[in-house]
Amino acid sequence: MDKVQSPVRRIVTHTLFLVVIVLLACLYIYPVFLMVCNSLKPFKEILTNVLALPSHLEWANYSYVIEKMEYFRLFFNNVVITLLGILGIVAFSSMAAYILDRRQTRVTKALHTFIITPMLIPFQTIMITLLKFMNIIHLNGTTWGLGIQYWGFGIPMATFIYFNFMKSIPSEIDESAMIDGATTFQTYVRIIFPLLKTVTATVVVLDVMWIWNDFLLPLLMVNSSPSSKTLVLAAYNFVGSLNTKWHYALAAMVLAILPSVIVFVFLQRYIVDGVVAGAIKG
Amino acid sequence: MDKKSMSPMNRKALKETLLFTLPAVVMVLIAIYIPFVMSGYYSLTEWNGISRNPVFIGLNNFKTIFSSGSPEFVNALVFTFKYSALFIVFSNVLALALAVALTKEFKLANFLRGMFFLPYIMSMTIVGFIWKFIFTQGFEKLYELTGWGIWNLSWLGDGGLAFWSLVIVGTWQSLGFYIVLYIAGLQAIPKEVMEAASIDGATGSQRFFRVTLPLLGPSITTCMFMSLTNSLKVFDIILALTKGGPGGATYSATLDIYREAFQNNNYGLGSAKAIVFFVIVLVLTQVVLKIFESREVQQ
Repeated sequence: MDKVQSPVRRIVTHTLFLVVIVLLACLYIYPVFLMVCNSLKPFKEILTNVLALPSHLEWANYSYVIEKMEYFRLFFNNVVITLLGILGIVAFSSMAAYILDRRQTRVTKALHTFIITPMLIPFQTIMITLLKFMNIIHLNGTTWGLGIQYWGFGIPMATFIYFNFMKSIPSEIDESAMIDGATTFQTYVRIIFPLLKTVTATVVVLDVMWIWNDFLLPLLMVNSSPSSKTLVLAAYNFVGSLNTKWHYALAAMVLAILPSVIVFVFLQRYIVDGVVAGAIKG
Repeated sequence: MDKKSMSPMNRKALKETLLFTLPAVVMVLIAIYIPFVMSGYYSLTEWNGISRNPVFIGLNNFKTIFSSGSPEFVNALVFTFKYSALFIVFSNVLALALAVALTKEFKLANFLRGMFFLPYIMSMTIVGFIWKFIFTQGFEKLYELTGWGIWNLSWLGDGGLAFWSLVIVGTWQSLGFYIVLYIAGLQAIPKEVMEAASIDGATGSQRFFRVTLPLLGPSITTCMFMSLTNSLKVFDIILALTKGGPGGATYSATLDIYREAFQNNNYGLGSAKAIVFFVIVLVLTQVVLKIFESREVQQ
Protein backbone atom coordinates (compact mmCIF):
# COMPACT_ATOMS: atom_id res chain seq x y z
CA MET A 1 0.00 0.00 0.00
CA ASP A 2 2.77 2.44 0.87
CA LYS A 3 4.13 2.83 -2.63
CA VAL A 4 6.10 5.98 -1.90
CA GLN A 5 8.49 4.33 0.55
CA SER A 6 11.69 2.72 -0.65
CA PRO A 7 12.12 -0.97 0.23
CA VAL A 8 14.99 -0.25 2.63
CA ARG A 9 12.97 2.32 4.54
CA ARG A 10 10.06 -0.07 4.70
CA ILE A 11 12.17 -2.80 6.23
CA VAL A 12 13.61 -0.35 8.76
CA THR A 13 10.19 0.99 9.85
CA HIS A 14 8.79 -2.52 10.00
CA THR A 15 11.66 -3.74 12.20
CA LEU A 16 11.30 -0.68 14.41
CA PHE A 17 7.60 -1.36 14.72
CA LEU A 18 8.28 -5.00 15.66
CA VAL A 19 10.81 -4.04 18.33
CA VAL A 20 8.45 -1.49 19.87
CA ILE A 21 5.40 -3.74 19.93
CA VAL A 22 7.33 -6.72 21.33
CA LEU A 23 8.86 -4.52 24.04
CA LEU A 24 5.42 -3.15 24.89
CA ALA A 25 3.95 -6.64 25.21
CA CYS A 26 6.83 -7.76 27.45
CA LEU A 27 6.45 -4.67 29.63
CA TYR A 28 2.72 -5.32 29.78
CA ILE A 29 3.13 -8.84 31.05
CA TYR A 30 6.09 -8.04 33.30
CA PRO A 31 4.01 -7.86 36.52
CA VAL A 32 2.86 -11.45 35.92
CA PHE A 33 6.43 -12.52 35.30
CA LEU A 34 7.56 -10.82 38.51
CA MET A 35 4.85 -12.63 40.46
CA VAL A 36 5.87 -16.05 39.14
CA CYS A 37 9.56 -15.32 39.51
CA ASN A 38 9.29 -14.15 43.12
CA SER A 39 6.95 -16.95 44.11
CA LEU A 40 9.91 -19.28 43.58
CA LYS A 41 12.33 -17.38 45.84
CA PRO A 42 13.09 -17.77 49.53
CA PHE A 43 11.58 -14.92 51.55
CA LYS A 44 14.91 -13.14 52.07
CA GLU A 45 15.61 -12.87 48.36
CA ILE A 46 12.29 -11.14 47.75
CA LEU A 47 13.23 -8.52 50.30
CA THR A 48 16.77 -7.98 49.02
CA ASN A 49 16.07 -7.95 45.29
CA VAL A 50 12.61 -8.25 43.78
CA LEU A 51 13.85 -7.83 40.23
CA ALA A 52 16.53 -10.54 40.23
CA LEU A 53 15.97 -14.12 39.15
CA PRO A 54 15.78 -16.68 41.97
CA SER A 55 19.16 -18.12 43.00
CA HIS A 56 17.45 -21.50 43.25
CA LEU A 57 13.84 -22.60 42.86
CA GLU A 58 12.15 -22.66 46.25
CA TRP A 59 9.37 -25.18 45.61
CA ALA A 60 8.78 -25.34 49.36
CA ASN A 61 6.67 -22.18 49.03
CA TYR A 62 4.28 -24.11 46.85
CA SER A 63 4.09 -27.27 48.94
CA TYR A 64 3.39 -25.13 52.02
CA VAL A 65 0.59 -23.23 50.28
CA ILE A 66 -0.95 -26.31 48.66
CA GLU A 67 -1.21 -27.96 52.05
CA LYS A 68 -2.28 -24.89 54.05
CA MET A 69 -4.92 -23.74 51.56
CA GLU A 70 -6.12 -27.29 50.88
CA TYR A 71 -5.60 -26.46 47.25
CA PHE A 72 -6.94 -29.65 45.74
CA ARG A 73 -10.19 -29.44 47.63
CA LEU A 74 -10.64 -25.83 46.51
CA PHE A 75 -9.91 -26.87 42.96
CA PHE A 76 -12.49 -29.62 43.24
CA ASN A 77 -15.05 -27.15 44.68
CA ASN A 78 -14.47 -24.82 41.75
CA VAL A 79 -14.93 -27.65 39.28
CA VAL A 80 -18.20 -28.72 40.93
CA ILE A 81 -19.61 -25.19 41.05
CA THR A 82 -18.57 -24.28 37.52
CA LEU A 83 -19.74 -27.58 36.02
CA LEU A 84 -23.08 -27.53 37.81
CA GLY A 85 -23.61 -23.88 36.89
CA ILE A 86 -22.74 -24.30 33.23
CA LEU A 87 -24.84 -27.46 32.76
CA GLY A 88 -27.96 -25.76 34.07
CA ILE A 89 -27.40 -22.54 32.16
CA VAL A 90 -26.82 -24.33 28.84
CA ALA A 91 -29.71 -26.80 29.22
CA PHE A 92 -32.38 -24.42 30.49
CA SER A 93 -31.44 -21.46 28.28
CA SER A 94 -31.28 -23.42 25.03
CA MET A 95 -34.56 -25.16 25.85
CA ALA A 96 -36.32 -21.91 26.60
CA ALA A 97 -34.84 -20.13 23.58
CA TYR A 98 -35.93 -22.98 21.28
CA ILE A 99 -39.58 -22.85 22.25
CA LEU A 100 -39.65 -19.04 22.48
CA ASP A 101 -38.40 -18.74 18.90
CA ARG A 102 -40.58 -21.48 17.39
CA ARG A 103 -43.90 -20.49 18.97
CA GLN A 104 -44.43 -16.83 18.39
CA THR A 105 -47.45 -16.01 20.56
CA ARG A 106 -48.34 -13.39 23.13
CA VAL A 107 -47.39 -15.84 25.87
CA THR A 108 -43.92 -16.54 24.46
CA LYS A 109 -43.30 -12.83 23.91
CA ALA A 110 -44.12 -12.12 27.54
CA LEU A 111 -41.96 -15.02 28.75
CA HIS A 112 -39.08 -13.84 26.55
CA THR A 113 -39.23 -10.38 28.09
CA PHE A 114 -39.48 -11.88 31.57
CA ILE A 115 -36.39 -14.06 31.10
CA ILE A 116 -34.02 -11.59 29.46
CA THR A 117 -34.94 -8.31 31.24
CA PRO A 118 -32.82 -9.13 34.34
CA MET A 119 -29.74 -8.48 32.17
CA LEU A 120 -30.39 -4.83 33.06
CA ILE A 121 -30.19 -5.38 36.83
CA PRO A 122 -26.67 -5.06 38.27
CA PHE A 123 -25.83 -7.84 40.70
CA GLN A 124 -24.94 -5.34 43.44
CA THR A 125 -28.51 -4.02 43.39
CA ILE A 126 -29.86 -7.28 44.73
CA MET A 127 -26.95 -8.74 46.69
CA ILE A 128 -28.24 -7.66 50.11
CA THR A 129 -31.67 -9.22 49.82
CA LEU A 130 -30.33 -12.13 47.79
CA LEU A 131 -28.30 -13.26 50.80
CA LYS A 132 -31.40 -13.00 53.01
CA PHE A 133 -33.55 -14.91 50.52
CA MET A 134 -30.98 -17.66 49.87
CA ASN A 135 -30.84 -18.13 53.65
CA ILE A 136 -34.57 -18.73 53.65
CA ILE A 137 -34.54 -21.28 50.82
CA HIS A 138 -31.26 -22.90 51.99
CA LEU A 139 -29.24 -22.37 48.85
CA ASN A 140 -26.33 -20.67 50.62
CA GLY A 141 -23.33 -22.21 52.33
CA THR A 142 -22.84 -25.14 49.97
CA THR A 143 -21.05 -25.70 46.68
CA TRP A 144 -24.09 -27.15 44.97
CA GLY A 145 -26.30 -24.33 46.24
CA LEU A 146 -23.84 -21.83 44.82
CA GLY A 147 -23.76 -23.69 41.50
CA ILE A 148 -27.56 -23.59 41.30
CA GLN A 149 -27.61 -19.86 42.03
CA TYR A 150 -25.50 -19.27 38.93
CA TRP A 151 -28.33 -20.68 36.82
CA GLY A 152 -30.53 -17.71 37.60
CA PHE A 153 -27.76 -15.19 36.97
CA GLY A 154 -26.53 -16.83 33.75
CA ILE A 155 -29.84 -17.72 32.11
CA PRO A 156 -30.96 -14.22 30.95
CA MET A 157 -27.90 -13.54 28.80
CA ALA A 158 -27.54 -17.14 27.60
CA THR A 159 -31.20 -17.26 26.55
CA PHE A 160 -30.72 -13.96 24.74
CA ILE A 161 -27.72 -15.34 22.82
CA TYR A 162 -29.43 -18.67 22.02
CA PHE A 163 -32.65 -16.92 20.97
CA ASN A 164 -30.85 -14.71 18.44
CA PHE A 165 -29.12 -17.75 16.99
CA MET A 166 -32.27 -19.91 16.76
CA LYS A 167 -33.61 -17.78 13.90
CA SER A 168 -30.81 -19.00 11.66
CA ILE A 169 -31.93 -22.64 12.01
CA PRO A 170 -34.73 -23.21 9.47
CA SER A 171 -37.90 -24.52 11.10
CA GLU A 172 -38.33 -27.07 8.27
CA ILE A 173 -35.69 -29.11 10.08
CA ASP A 174 -37.72 -29.61 13.22
CA GLU A 175 -41.00 -29.85 11.28
CA SER A 176 -39.71 -32.85 9.34
CA ALA A 177 -38.59 -34.50 12.59
CA MET A 178 -42.06 -33.95 14.04
CA ILE A 179 -43.66 -35.52 10.96
CA ASP A 180 -41.46 -38.57 11.56
CA GLY A 181 -43.17 -38.84 14.95
CA ALA A 182 -40.65 -37.20 17.30
CA THR A 183 -42.03 -35.24 20.24
CA THR A 184 -41.03 -31.62 20.73
CA PHE A 185 -38.59 -32.61 23.46
CA GLN A 186 -36.99 -35.34 21.36
CA THR A 187 -36.65 -32.91 18.48
CA TYR A 188 -34.95 -30.41 20.75
CA VAL A 189 -32.52 -32.95 22.22
CA ARG A 190 -31.63 -34.87 19.05
CA ILE A 191 -31.98 -32.34 16.25
CA ILE A 192 -31.83 -28.78 17.54
CA PHE A 193 -29.31 -28.92 20.38
CA PRO A 194 -26.53 -30.46 18.23
CA LEU A 195 -27.07 -27.66 15.72
CA LEU A 196 -26.43 -25.08 18.43
CA LYS A 197 -22.81 -26.22 18.88
CA THR A 198 -21.09 -22.94 17.98
CA VAL A 199 -23.32 -20.80 20.14
CA THR A 200 -23.08 -23.28 23.00
CA ALA A 201 -19.30 -22.91 22.77
CA THR A 202 -19.71 -19.14 23.15
CA VAL A 203 -21.97 -19.52 26.18
CA VAL A 204 -19.63 -22.06 27.78
CA VAL A 205 -16.55 -19.87 27.31
CA LEU A 206 -18.25 -16.76 28.71
CA ASP A 207 -19.86 -18.45 31.68
CA VAL A 208 -16.94 -20.69 32.64
CA MET A 209 -14.65 -17.64 32.74
CA TRP A 210 -17.22 -15.76 34.79
CA ILE A 211 -18.11 -18.49 37.29
CA TRP A 212 -14.56 -19.78 37.73
CA ASN A 213 -13.22 -16.32 38.60
CA ASP A 214 -16.30 -14.88 40.32
CA PHE A 215 -15.63 -13.34 43.69
CA LEU A 216 -18.58 -11.43 45.10
CA LEU A 217 -21.24 -14.15 45.04
CA PRO A 218 -18.97 -16.74 46.72
CA LEU A 219 -17.90 -14.06 49.23
CA LEU A 220 -21.55 -13.57 50.18
CA MET A 221 -22.66 -17.20 50.08
CA VAL A 222 -19.85 -19.50 51.19
CA ASN A 223 -17.31 -17.34 53.03
CA SER A 224 -18.40 -18.66 56.42
CA SER A 225 -18.31 -22.33 55.41
CA PRO A 226 -14.64 -23.32 54.96
CA SER A 227 -15.32 -26.59 53.17
CA SER A 228 -17.31 -24.93 50.36
CA LYS A 229 -14.95 -22.07 49.50
CA THR A 230 -13.90 -21.34 45.94
CA LEU A 231 -10.32 -21.00 44.79
CA VAL A 232 -10.35 -17.23 44.36
CA LEU A 233 -12.21 -16.62 47.61
CA ALA A 234 -9.82 -18.85 49.59
CA ALA A 235 -6.83 -17.17 47.94
CA TYR A 236 -8.26 -13.78 48.89
CA ASN A 237 -8.58 -14.80 52.54
CA PHE A 238 -5.25 -16.60 52.56
CA VAL A 239 -3.28 -13.73 51.04
CA GLY A 240 -5.08 -11.27 53.32
CA SER A 241 -4.06 -13.27 56.40
CA LEU A 242 -0.40 -13.48 55.37
CA ASN A 243 0.26 -9.76 55.59
CA THR A 244 3.78 -9.37 54.18
CA LYS A 245 4.82 -13.00 53.82
CA TRP A 246 5.03 -12.44 50.11
CA HIS A 247 6.73 -15.76 49.27
CA TYR A 248 3.61 -17.68 50.35
CA ALA A 249 1.18 -15.04 49.09
CA LEU A 250 2.73 -15.05 45.62
CA ALA A 251 2.70 -18.84 45.43
CA ALA A 252 -0.99 -18.82 46.41
CA MET A 253 -1.73 -16.21 43.72
CA VAL A 254 0.07 -18.22 41.06
CA LEU A 255 -1.82 -21.36 42.09
CA ALA A 256 -5.13 -19.49 41.99
CA ILE A 257 -4.70 -18.35 38.37
CA LEU A 258 -2.78 -21.39 37.10
CA PRO A 259 -5.82 -23.41 35.93
CA SER A 260 -7.18 -20.49 33.85
CA VAL A 261 -3.77 -19.81 32.33
CA ILE A 262 -3.22 -23.44 31.36
CA VAL A 263 -6.65 -23.64 29.73
CA PHE A 264 -6.03 -20.34 27.96
CA VAL A 265 -2.69 -21.47 26.53
CA PHE A 266 -4.35 -24.48 24.92
CA LEU A 267 -7.64 -22.94 23.88
CA GLN A 268 -6.66 -19.33 23.14
CA ARG A 269 -8.44 -19.16 19.78
CA TYR A 270 -11.70 -20.60 21.10
CA ILE A 271 -11.68 -18.41 24.18
CA VAL A 272 -11.02 -15.22 22.25
CA ASP A 273 -13.65 -16.12 19.64
CA GLY A 274 -16.17 -16.90 22.37
CA VAL A 275 -15.52 -13.66 24.21
CA VAL A 276 -15.83 -11.59 21.04
CA ALA A 277 -19.01 -13.36 19.92
CA GLY A 278 -20.52 -13.01 23.38
CA ALA A 279 -19.81 -9.29 23.58
CA ILE A 280 -21.21 -8.57 20.14
CA LYS A 281 -24.35 -10.62 20.65
CA GLY A 282 -24.84 -9.81 24.33
CA MET B 1 -60.00 -26.10 11.03
CA ASP B 2 -62.89 -25.61 13.42
CA LYS B 3 -62.58 -24.37 16.92
CA LYS B 4 -63.08 -27.75 18.59
CA SER B 5 -59.99 -29.36 17.09
CA MET B 6 -57.87 -26.21 17.56
CA SER B 7 -58.42 -25.92 21.24
CA PRO B 8 -56.72 -29.10 22.54
CA MET B 9 -53.88 -28.49 20.08
CA ASN B 10 -53.44 -25.01 21.44
CA ARG B 11 -53.61 -26.23 24.97
CA LYS B 12 -50.91 -28.80 24.26
CA ALA B 13 -48.74 -26.13 22.64
CA LEU B 14 -49.22 -23.83 25.59
CA LYS B 15 -48.37 -26.63 28.01
CA GLU B 16 -45.18 -27.36 26.08
CA THR B 17 -44.23 -23.70 26.01
CA LEU B 18 -44.62 -23.44 29.75
CA LEU B 19 -42.75 -26.69 30.43
CA PHE B 20 -39.80 -25.70 28.24
CA THR B 21 -39.49 -22.29 29.84
CA LEU B 22 -40.35 -23.32 33.40
CA PRO B 23 -36.79 -23.98 34.65
CA ALA B 24 -35.53 -20.68 33.23
CA VAL B 25 -38.48 -18.74 34.62
CA VAL B 26 -38.22 -20.29 38.08
CA MET B 27 -34.46 -19.76 38.37
CA VAL B 28 -34.60 -16.15 37.19
CA LEU B 29 -37.48 -15.54 39.58
CA ILE B 30 -35.57 -16.97 42.55
CA ALA B 31 -32.20 -15.42 41.83
CA ILE B 32 -33.21 -12.01 40.54
CA TYR B 33 -36.86 -10.97 40.64
CA ILE B 34 -37.68 -11.91 44.23
CA PRO B 35 -34.52 -10.31 45.69
CA PHE B 36 -35.14 -7.27 43.49
CA VAL B 37 -38.68 -6.79 44.80
CA MET B 38 -37.40 -7.39 48.34
CA SER B 39 -34.77 -4.68 47.81
CA GLY B 40 -37.51 -2.30 46.75
CA TYR B 41 -39.45 -3.08 49.91
CA TYR B 42 -36.52 -2.96 52.33
CA SER B 43 -35.36 0.35 50.86
CA LEU B 44 -38.44 1.84 52.53
CA THR B 45 -37.59 0.41 55.95
CA GLU B 46 -35.13 0.60 58.76
CA TRP B 47 -33.74 -2.87 59.26
CA ASN B 48 -30.55 -4.24 60.79
CA GLY B 49 -30.85 -7.61 59.08
CA ILE B 50 -31.29 -9.50 62.32
CA SER B 51 -34.53 -8.29 63.88
CA ARG B 52 -37.64 -10.00 62.56
CA ASN B 53 -39.61 -6.93 61.67
CA PRO B 54 -38.17 -4.13 59.59
CA VAL B 55 -39.71 -0.75 60.52
CA PHE B 56 -41.43 1.05 57.67
CA ILE B 57 -40.04 4.58 57.34
CA GLY B 58 -41.22 5.66 53.88
CA LEU B 59 -38.70 7.57 51.78
CA ASN B 60 -36.50 8.52 54.72
CA ASN B 61 -33.60 6.35 53.53
CA PHE B 62 -33.53 8.18 50.21
CA LYS B 63 -33.53 11.51 52.03
CA THR B 64 -30.61 10.28 54.16
CA ILE B 65 -28.63 9.26 51.09
CA PHE B 66 -28.75 12.74 49.59
CA SER B 67 -28.62 14.73 52.80
CA SER B 68 -25.45 16.69 53.53
CA GLY B 69 -25.01 14.91 56.87
CA SER B 70 -23.96 11.62 55.25
CA PRO B 71 -21.94 12.29 52.13
CA GLU B 72 -20.53 8.73 51.79
CA PHE B 73 -22.75 7.55 48.97
CA VAL B 74 -22.59 10.78 46.98
CA ASN B 75 -18.80 10.74 47.35
CA ALA B 76 -18.74 7.11 46.27
CA LEU B 77 -20.85 7.99 43.22
CA VAL B 78 -18.50 10.84 42.30
CA PHE B 79 -15.55 8.45 42.67
CA THR B 80 -17.32 5.88 40.48
CA PHE B 81 -18.10 8.42 37.74
CA LYS B 82 -14.52 9.70 37.71
CA TYR B 83 -13.18 6.15 37.64
CA SER B 84 -15.56 5.18 34.84
CA ALA B 85 -14.74 8.24 32.73
CA LEU B 86 -11.00 7.59 32.88
CA PHE B 87 -11.38 3.84 32.51
CA ILE B 88 -13.52 4.28 29.39
CA VAL B 89 -11.09 6.74 27.78
CA PHE B 90 -7.96 4.72 28.60
CA SER B 91 -9.29 1.31 27.69
CA ASN B 92 -10.84 2.42 24.41
CA VAL B 93 -8.01 4.64 23.17
CA LEU B 94 -5.22 2.24 24.14
CA ALA B 95 -7.14 -0.82 22.96
CA LEU B 96 -7.85 0.76 19.57
CA ALA B 97 -4.22 1.79 19.12
CA LEU B 98 -2.96 -1.67 20.02
CA ALA B 99 -5.63 -3.33 17.90
CA VAL B 100 -4.46 -1.35 14.85
CA ALA B 101 -0.87 -2.43 15.56
CA LEU B 102 -1.83 -6.06 16.12
CA THR B 103 -3.89 -6.40 12.93
CA LYS B 104 -0.79 -5.76 10.83
CA GLU B 105 0.50 -8.98 9.33
CA PHE B 106 3.56 -10.34 11.13
CA LYS B 107 4.51 -13.68 12.57
CA LEU B 108 4.23 -12.84 16.24
CA ALA B 109 0.88 -11.02 16.00
CA ASN B 110 -1.21 -13.85 17.38
CA PHE B 111 1.20 -14.57 20.21
CA LEU B 112 1.33 -10.90 21.23
CA ARG B 113 -2.47 -10.70 21.23
CA GLY B 114 -2.44 -13.59 23.66
CA MET B 115 -0.01 -11.72 25.91
CA PHE B 116 -2.23 -8.65 26.05
CA PHE B 117 -5.29 -10.83 26.65
CA LEU B 118 -3.75 -12.86 29.47
CA PRO B 119 -4.67 -10.57 32.40
CA TYR B 120 -8.31 -10.68 31.31
CA ILE B 121 -8.60 -14.38 32.07
CA MET B 122 -7.28 -13.86 35.60
CA SER B 123 -9.49 -13.19 38.57
CA MET B 124 -9.66 -9.45 39.32
CA THR B 125 -8.96 -10.13 42.97
CA ILE B 126 -5.65 -11.80 42.15
CA VAL B 127 -4.84 -9.02 39.69
CA GLY B 128 -5.33 -6.58 42.56
CA PHE B 129 -2.87 -8.56 44.68
CA ILE B 130 -0.30 -8.75 41.88
CA TRP B 131 -0.29 -4.98 41.65
CA LYS B 132 -0.21 -4.54 45.39
CA PHE B 133 3.06 -6.47 45.21
CA ILE B 134 4.32 -4.30 42.33
CA PHE B 135 3.29 -1.01 43.97
CA THR B 136 4.97 -1.89 47.26
CA GLN B 137 7.93 -4.27 46.73
CA GLY B 138 8.53 -3.67 43.02
CA PHE B 139 8.48 0.13 43.10
CA GLU B 140 10.70 0.21 46.16
CA LYS B 141 13.44 -1.65 44.32
CA LEU B 142 12.98 0.42 41.16
CA TYR B 143 13.48 3.56 43.24
CA GLU B 144 16.65 2.10 44.73
CA LEU B 145 17.97 1.39 41.25
CA THR B 146 16.95 4.56 39.41
CA GLY B 147 16.38 7.19 42.07
CA TRP B 148 13.37 8.47 40.10
CA GLY B 149 10.76 10.07 42.36
CA ILE B 150 7.88 8.42 40.54
CA TRP B 151 8.75 5.05 42.12
CA ASN B 152 8.91 6.54 45.57
CA LEU B 153 5.36 7.94 45.64
CA SER B 154 2.78 6.37 47.90
CA TRP B 155 0.72 4.80 45.13
CA LEU B 156 -1.71 3.11 47.51
CA GLY B 157 -1.32 5.27 50.60
CA ASP B 158 -2.36 8.61 49.13
CA GLY B 159 -6.03 9.11 48.24
CA GLY B 160 -5.45 10.87 44.92
CA LEU B 161 -2.72 8.49 43.81
CA ALA B 162 -4.68 5.43 44.93
CA PHE B 163 -7.43 6.52 42.55
CA TRP B 164 -4.95 6.55 39.67
CA SER B 165 -3.55 3.19 40.75
CA LEU B 166 -7.02 1.70 40.53
CA VAL B 167 -7.59 3.19 37.08
CA ILE B 168 -4.26 1.81 35.87
CA VAL B 169 -4.83 -1.66 37.30
CA GLY B 170 -8.46 -1.79 36.11
CA THR B 171 -7.40 -0.84 32.60
CA TRP B 172 -4.48 -3.26 32.65
CA GLN B 173 -6.74 -6.16 33.57
CA SER B 174 -9.35 -5.72 30.86
CA LEU B 175 -7.48 -3.99 28.03
CA GLY B 176 -7.08 -7.30 26.20
CA PHE B 177 -10.85 -7.71 26.07
CA TYR B 178 -11.32 -4.39 24.26
CA ILE B 179 -8.32 -5.10 22.03
CA VAL B 180 -9.86 -8.32 20.69
CA LEU B 181 -13.22 -6.58 20.16
CA TYR B 182 -11.55 -3.81 18.14
CA ILE B 183 -9.47 -6.36 16.22
CA ALA B 184 -12.68 -8.16 15.24
CA GLY B 185 -14.13 -4.82 14.10
CA LEU B 186 -11.01 -3.88 12.12
CA GLN B 187 -10.93 -7.23 10.38
CA ALA B 188 -14.53 -6.76 9.29
CA ILE B 189 -13.65 -3.64 7.30
CA PRO B 190 -13.39 -4.65 3.62
CA LYS B 191 -9.85 -4.39 2.21
CA GLU B 192 -11.17 -2.77 -0.97
CA VAL B 193 -12.38 0.27 0.97
CA MET B 194 -8.91 0.89 2.38
CA GLU B 195 -7.28 0.32 -0.99
CA ALA B 196 -9.68 2.73 -2.65
CA ALA B 197 -8.85 5.34 -0.02
CA SER B 198 -5.09 5.03 -0.58
CA ILE B 199 -5.50 5.16 -4.35
CA ASP B 200 -7.42 8.39 -3.84
CA GLY B 201 -4.30 9.68 -2.08
CA ALA B 202 -5.36 9.48 1.53
CA THR B 203 -2.44 9.41 3.98
CA GLY B 204 -2.21 6.93 6.83
CA SER B 205 -3.78 9.19 9.41
CA GLN B 206 -6.47 10.37 6.97
CA ARG B 207 -7.34 6.74 6.24
CA PHE B 208 -7.61 6.05 9.95
CA PHE B 209 -9.75 9.04 10.94
CA ARG B 210 -11.90 9.35 7.80
CA VAL B 211 -12.39 5.70 6.83
CA THR B 212 -11.45 3.23 9.58
CA LEU B 213 -12.92 5.07 12.54
CA PRO B 214 -16.37 5.76 11.03
CA LEU B 215 -16.62 2.16 9.81
CA LEU B 216 -15.76 0.91 13.29
CA GLY B 217 -19.01 2.37 14.63
CA PRO B 218 -20.58 -0.87 15.86
CA SER B 219 -17.36 -1.95 17.63
CA ILE B 220 -17.04 1.44 19.29
CA THR B 221 -20.64 1.22 20.50
CA THR B 222 -20.05 -2.26 21.93
CA CYS B 223 -16.80 -1.28 23.64
CA MET B 224 -18.25 1.95 25.04
CA PHE B 225 -21.24 0.11 26.42
CA MET B 226 -19.18 -2.73 27.90
CA SER B 227 -16.55 -0.43 29.42
CA LEU B 228 -19.27 1.74 30.94
CA THR B 229 -21.24 -1.09 32.56
CA ASN B 230 -18.09 -2.83 33.78
CA SER B 231 -16.51 0.28 35.28
CA LEU B 232 -19.67 1.46 37.04
CA LYS B 233 -19.73 -1.86 38.90
CA VAL B 234 -16.05 -1.78 39.93
CA PHE B 235 -15.63 -3.77 43.16
CA ASP B 236 -13.15 -6.69 43.29
CA ILE B 237 -10.06 -4.71 42.34
CA ILE B 238 -10.72 -2.09 45.00
CA LEU B 239 -11.28 -4.70 47.69
CA ALA B 240 -7.98 -6.39 46.83
CA LEU B 241 -5.90 -3.21 46.39
CA THR B 242 -7.11 -0.54 48.81
CA LYS B 243 -10.24 -1.84 50.59
CA GLY B 244 -11.73 1.62 50.03
CA GLY B 245 -8.83 3.38 51.74
CA PRO B 246 -6.85 5.38 52.52
CA GLY B 247 -9.36 7.15 54.74
CA GLY B 248 -12.34 6.06 52.62
CA ALA B 249 -10.99 7.87 49.54
CA THR B 250 -11.53 4.97 47.15
CA TYR B 251 -15.02 3.73 47.95
CA SER B 252 -16.97 2.99 44.79
CA ALA B 253 -20.78 2.93 44.77
CA THR B 254 -20.89 -0.87 44.91
CA LEU B 255 -18.33 -1.05 47.71
CA ASP B 256 -20.29 1.56 49.67
CA ILE B 257 -23.48 -0.48 49.28
CA TYR B 258 -21.57 -3.52 50.54
CA ARG B 259 -20.19 -1.57 53.50
CA GLU B 260 -23.58 -0.13 54.44
CA ALA B 261 -25.26 -3.53 54.48
CA PHE B 262 -22.66 -6.01 55.64
CA GLN B 263 -20.36 -3.89 57.80
CA ASN B 264 -22.66 -1.20 59.21
CA ASN B 265 -25.64 -3.59 59.29
CA ASN B 266 -27.94 -0.94 57.80
CA TYR B 267 -29.77 -3.26 55.43
CA GLY B 268 -32.59 -0.79 54.78
CA LEU B 269 -30.28 2.10 53.91
CA GLY B 270 -28.06 -0.25 51.90
CA SER B 271 -31.07 -1.42 49.89
CA ALA B 272 -32.06 2.18 49.19
CA LYS B 273 -28.55 2.90 47.90
CA ALA B 274 -28.76 -0.24 45.77
CA ILE B 275 -32.00 0.99 44.18
CA VAL B 276 -30.51 4.43 43.46
CA PHE B 277 -27.48 2.71 41.93
CA PHE B 278 -29.74 0.57 39.74
CA VAL B 279 -31.57 3.62 38.37
CA ILE B 280 -28.31 5.46 37.66
CA VAL B 281 -26.75 2.50 35.84
CA LEU B 282 -29.92 1.92 33.81
CA VAL B 283 -30.24 5.55 32.71
CA LEU B 284 -26.54 6.03 31.93
CA THR B 285 -26.14 2.83 29.92
CA GLN B 286 -29.30 3.41 27.89
CA VAL B 287 -28.34 7.02 27.13
CA VAL B 288 -24.82 6.04 26.04
CA LEU B 289 -26.18 3.20 23.93
CA LYS B 290 -28.66 5.50 22.16
CA ILE B 291 -26.06 8.22 21.52
CA PHE B 292 -23.49 5.86 20.02
CA GLU B 293 -26.00 3.85 18.02
CA SER B 294 -27.45 6.98 16.43
CA ARG B 295 -23.97 8.09 15.31
CA GLU B 296 -23.04 4.82 13.64
CA VAL B 297 -22.46 5.02 9.89
CA GLN B 298 -24.59 2.72 7.80
CA GLN B 299 -22.35 0.42 5.77
